[in-house]
Amino acid sequence: MPPLIHEALLIGFKEAAKAGLVWLVFYSYLVVNDRKNFVKPFYMGLLVSFLIVFMSQFLPSDIVTKENAGNIISMSFALFLIMSGAALFHVSGTNMLSISASGYGSTLPEETQVPSLKPAAWGIIVLLFTVIFFAPDGMGSLLQLRELSYIKGRGSMSYISALIGVAVVAAVLFTVVGLYKPYKIGGFFDVPQLLLFLAMVKLFGSGAKEFAELSLLPSVQRGFMKFAHDFVHQVFLFLMVPDHPLLKATFWNFIGIFFGPDFASLVSLIILLLFPFMFLYHSLRETLPEPETRSVAEGRKIKAFILSGRRKRALPVACFIVLILIAWFSRSEETIMQMYLPKPIPVVADRGVVMIPVRDPTMNVMDGSLHKFSVSYEGRQYRLILIKKWDNTLAAALDACEMCPPEGYGLRDDHVVCIYCGTPIPVNTLGLPGGCNPIPLAFTIEGGFVKIEIHDIVKKWGFIKPLQGKESMH
Amino acid sequence: MSFIILKNIVKEYGPAHALRGVSMEIQKGQWVNIMGPSGSGKSTLLNIIGGLDTPTSGEVFVEGIKINALSEDDLACFRREKTGFVFQQSHLVPYLDAVENVMLAQYFHSMADEEEAVGALTRVGLEHRLKHRPSQLSGGEQQRICIARALTNDPVLLLADEPTGNLDRENTKMILELLKKLHSEEHFTIILVTHDPFVSQWGERVLMMEDGSIKSDAPINP
Ligand SMILES: Nc1ncnc2c1ncn2[C@@H]1O[C@H](COP(=O)(O)OP(=O)(O)OP(=O)(O)O)[C@@H](O)[C@H]1O
Ligand SMILES: [Mg+2]
Repeated sequence: MPPLIHEALLIGFKEAAKAGLVWLVFYSYLVVNDRKNFVKPFYMGLLVSFLIVFMSQFLPSDIVTKENAGNIISMSFALFLIMSGAALFHVSGTNMLSISASGYGSTLPEETQVPSLKPAAWGIIVLLFTVIFFAPDGMGSLLQLRELSYIKGRGSMSYISALIGVAVVAAVLFTVVGLYKPYKIGGFFDVPQLLLFLAMVKLFGSGAKEFAELSLLPSVQRGFMKFAHDFVHQVFLFLMVPDHPLLKATFWNFIGIFFGPDFASLVSLIILLLFPFMFLYHSLRETLPEPETRSVAEGRKIKAFILSGRRKRALPVACFIVLILIAWFSRSEETIMQMYLPKPIPVVADRGVVMIPVRDPTMNVMDGSLHKFSVSYEGRQYRLILIKKWDNTLAAALDACEMCPPEGYGLRDDHVVCIYCGTPIPVNTLGLPGGCNPIPLAFTIEGGFVKIEIHDIVKKWGFIKPLQGKESMH
Repeated sequence: MSFIILKNIVKEYGPAHALRGVSMEIQKGQWVNIMGPSGSGKSTLLNIIGGLDTPTSGEVFVEGIKINALSEDDLACFRREKTGFVFQQSHLVPYLDAVENVMLAQYFHSMADEEEAVGALTRVGLEHRLKHRPSQLSGGEQQRICIARALTNDPVLLLADEPTGNLDRENTKMILELLKKLHSEEHFTIILVTHDPFVSQWGERVLMMEDGSIKSDAPINP
């Protein structure tokens, strides 16, 4: 038997672990709350997800791309996160589906019970959410497996490896559950906590782009960072008069601290932690309902019951916060380490056109790396960058954006990074104008050369706001 | 069905018999006094009814629940939610003040509620002694805290073992009047053990015990 492909093994492992964990928590929740009738819609959801993943194989390959899968996964993460917050506001901290107080025959007051939907409606919701949760991840993983089998050229071995990974996890799970029956953990979850849990599983286990990116965290981190940065940037641009005498380079360098990578990263972390903290606040601080009971002591007992339930359900949320913090900081240190900073290669403008060979013995602009060039024209120096995007097309842009001093870009992972302010910009968004994106250039590829009009370069370099103080270099 | 039913309760300590087959019934809301010489088994009987002790044989029903068959957890739950105890010695926590002592009982029941604890102390006439510690209070005041503490969790059964044993006549009367007032307001059942013939005249019924069995059982005519 040929050796296993361990990247594929890992994919199978990861997907099965995710599914197993979700099953365990959800099933335990249903057991604890005596709602086993929702097990069936959950399993049906798994089946439907499986079918969707299988069918996705027959869709055109320009629709089923890793990029699209990644986007859908990110969207479903956001959906679960937002839904959890919405559910939290809906239930006000008591058990959504059923509730029963322990002890001698006291029943809970009406307002602490949330009957709302019919079981059938809940069943459909469970099915739908199961599909939304599992189908995108499954599609992403299958794409990875397919790619692996191309790369490794070993046919179905990647699928077999993945299946072995799944089998290992399943065996461990069944053994553990069979031996210990850990259904008590269901008591730590209510519907909002379950949704938050799903979002967290996505966050920590749903990277679809590369094997290196096992979790969604880096994309979320970069996405948030860009958002936070652009937001701060735009606010500054909006508030400040462009030619204000104060706005010299030193001033911007000072302001830069606030939207440099550290600050932006912190802001993004805060945005991400907002939901878990909202849960904690809700669990620990929100006022209790005033139950109508025969005696004050009984009312106190019901309040204590609700309170202890809330505290219990705050526990997983506190764990999420710790996990996010650990993951975030271990991640950001890693990413801030290596940035690729190529030296600009001088090129000339010949009859108004800059010509750069697509491929020569020393370089290949289509190799996926960042390529930087400098042109001098009429006594001034301009820089531009070329890089291949994920869809195998080339992007050409100035080595500057409209916002920052033109210090240019470096490359880190699959993002170009503004050297001045540290904003990461996904490579596949290059060529789009605006914000902190490098200003795109029009180009053609003819006869093995990338051709760019020098007038386009000069004109667009003029867009760079002079307010930042640093003039383009001479 | 009667609120409390005892069926042939026997309690043995080794060869010694504390109770030799006690059977009786108590109606809901009744105030029953138990009298008898020292060592006749009064405290033992009270503790068995309140779930503090288990009989060697026989059955105890309270509100239809057979409490001698309950698990340790359920028995604790029964004591917490159904009973209140007052003893001769006040058993108050010396370094907590009056309100805190009451709140402690609430905490073990469910959760502490200061406002409610103040209310409970006000009902026993201690609103001016809320922040005093037991050592700063008279015996009668301490016993009133104990009553507030015993009643704060709204028990259906108040069990009192010589609650006035340490008090002079004046304070004894005050405590009994307080109990009478609360009993008429809240209709819990009282079982009160006493040596004192004066005390035994309060309430509705007197049981006389001797050597581990009930010798007489008579209503009190007001
Ligand atoms: N834990 C024990 N171990 C051994 N014997 C005990 C125990 N508790 C009580 N007894 C015995 O059981 C008998 C009844 O005791 P109990 O405390 O019920 O009497 P009592 O009527 O409350 O007396 P008193 O009026 O003095 O409080 C006594 O003979 C006593 O010695
Ligand atoms: Mg005694």
